[in-house]
Amino acid sequence: MLDFSFVNKYYMFFLIGAKNTVVIAAFSVVFGVVLGTLLGLMKHSKIKVLKFFATVYIEFVRGTPLLVQLFIIYYGLPINLSAVPAGIVALTLNSGAYVAEIIRAGIEAIDKGQMEAARSLGMTHVNAMRHIILPQAIKNILPVLGNEFITIIKESSIVSVIGVPEIMYNAETVRGNTFKPFEPLVVAAVIYFVLTYSLSKLVNKVERRLKESD
Amino acid sequence: MIKINNLNKKFGDLEVLNNITTNISKGEVLVIIGPSGSGKSTFLRCLNLLEEPTSGEIIFEGKSITSIDNDINLQRQKMGMVFQQFNLFPHLTVLENITIAPVKVKGMSQDEAETIAVELLRRIGLEDKINVYPQKLSGGQKQRIAIARALAMSPEVLLFDEPTSALDPEMVGEVLDVMKGLAREGMTMVVVTHEMGFAKEVADRVFFMDKGSIIEEGTAMEIFKSPKNQRTKDFLAKLLT
Repeated sequence: MLDFSFVNKYYMFFLIGAKNTVVIAAFSVVFGVVLGTLLGLMKHSKIKVLKFFATVYIEFVRGTPLLVQLFIIYYGLPINLSAVPAGIVALTLNSGAYVAEIIRAGIEAIDKGQMEAARSLGMTHVNAMRHIILPQAIKNILPVLGNEFITIIKESSIVSVIGVPEIMYNAETVRGNTFKPFEPLVVAAVIYFVLTYSLSKLVNKVERRLKESD
Repeated sequence: MIKINNLNKKFGDLEVLNNITTNISKGEVLVIIGPSGSGKSTFLRCLNLLEEPTSGEIIFEGKSITSIDNDINLQRQKMGMVFQQFNLFPHLTVLENITIAPVKVKGMSQDEAETIAVELLRRIGLEDKINVYPQKLSGGQKQRIAIARALAMSPEVLLFDEPTSALDPEMVGEVLDVMKGLAREGMTMVVVTHEMGFAKEVADRVFFMDKGSIIEEGTAMEIFKSPKNQRTKDFLAKLLT
C-alpha cells in the first residue's frame, strides 16, 4: 500500500521546492526572453557577423544536452557561481536559444508585404520592426512563450543535480529521510503537473483573448 | 523627374529587366501593361528600391538613388506606393494607418497628421471608417485607404502595383475613380495594371513590356488603336477577346 502520511511532516519541503521551481523558472524565462529577443533579431539581421554568431549559438545550445551545459556553467567556469544562480544562468542561456527561434518564427510569420509597405513610406528597417512588425508578431509569440515557461518548469528539475533546492531536490531529500523510494516522487509529479496544467490553461485563455482582438 | 538609365535586374541567372532606359516627367501618368512575368512589377519596385537593381542608375529629382551613399528612406517619403494586396497594417485603425508614417517618419504632430487624414478620408468617401480596423473593410475600401495612406506623406509620385488585381469586379470602379481623380489633379503616377479602360482614359503614355524590355511605347491612342509591334498586337488581341 502507498503511504502518504509523511506529507504531514514534510509538506514544507514540497512547498518550498515548488516556490523555488517557480522562481527559478520565472527568472530563467524572463532573462531567456531578453536574450532570445536579442538573438532572434540578430538572426533576422542583415549584418552577417551578428547573424553568424546567433546561428552558431542557437545551434550549439540546441545540439547539446542541458545537463552538460549546466555542468559547464557550475563546474567549468572560472567564476564560482553558487547553485541557484548557476541554475538560473544555465536555464537562461539554454532557453534563450529556443526563445530566439520562437521570436524568429513569429516575425517571419508576418506577411512580407507589411515590411514593404512600411519601408515604402520611408520608415527605416528599425522603425518598421518597432511600429509595424513586432506589434503583430507579439500575438504569435506570446502563447508560444507561455509554453516555453511550461517547458522550463519541467526542465528545471535537472538543476537538482547541482543542489538547487527545488521540487525534485527536495523530493530526493524526503525520500532519504523517510526511506520511502516511491511516494515522494508521486507528490513531486503531482506538483509539477498542477503547475504546468494550470499554466497551460492560462496560456490557452490568453491565446483565445488575442485571437478575439483580431 | 525620374530618370532611368540602363536598368538591369537579374534573379540568379534569370534576366527580369533588360537595359531599361526612360524618363518619367512631372505630372505624367504612365501606364505599364504586359503579360505576367514581363517584368513590369519588378520595374515598378525598382523605382523605390524595394527591389534592388543589379545594375543601372535611377535618378529622382536630380539625385542618384542607386548610388551607395544615398539614403533611400528620404526619397521613399516622396514616392508613395500602392500594392496589389493593399498591405494595410492590421493592428492599426484606419486613422492610425494613415497617420503613422507622417508622425513617425516626418515628425509631424499627431493633430496635424489627423487633420490631413480626415481630409483624405473625406475625399475618398470613407470618413465613417476612421476608427475601424482594416479587416472590417471590403477590398475596395482597403485599397482606397491604402491610397490615402500613401497620399498622407504628400508624395511627388505614386507607384501603383496592380492596384485592382486582387479586387472583386464590382469594387474595381471605386478604386479606379480615386486614381482618375488623382490623375486629373496632376499627380505623377506610374501604374502597372491590366485595366485597359483606365489606361485609355487617363494615361499620358503607355509602355508595353515583355521579357524584361519595353517593347513599345506611345500614347494610349497609339498603343491601343495602332500597335506597331507584333507582340503588342497579340497581347491586346488576347485581352479583347
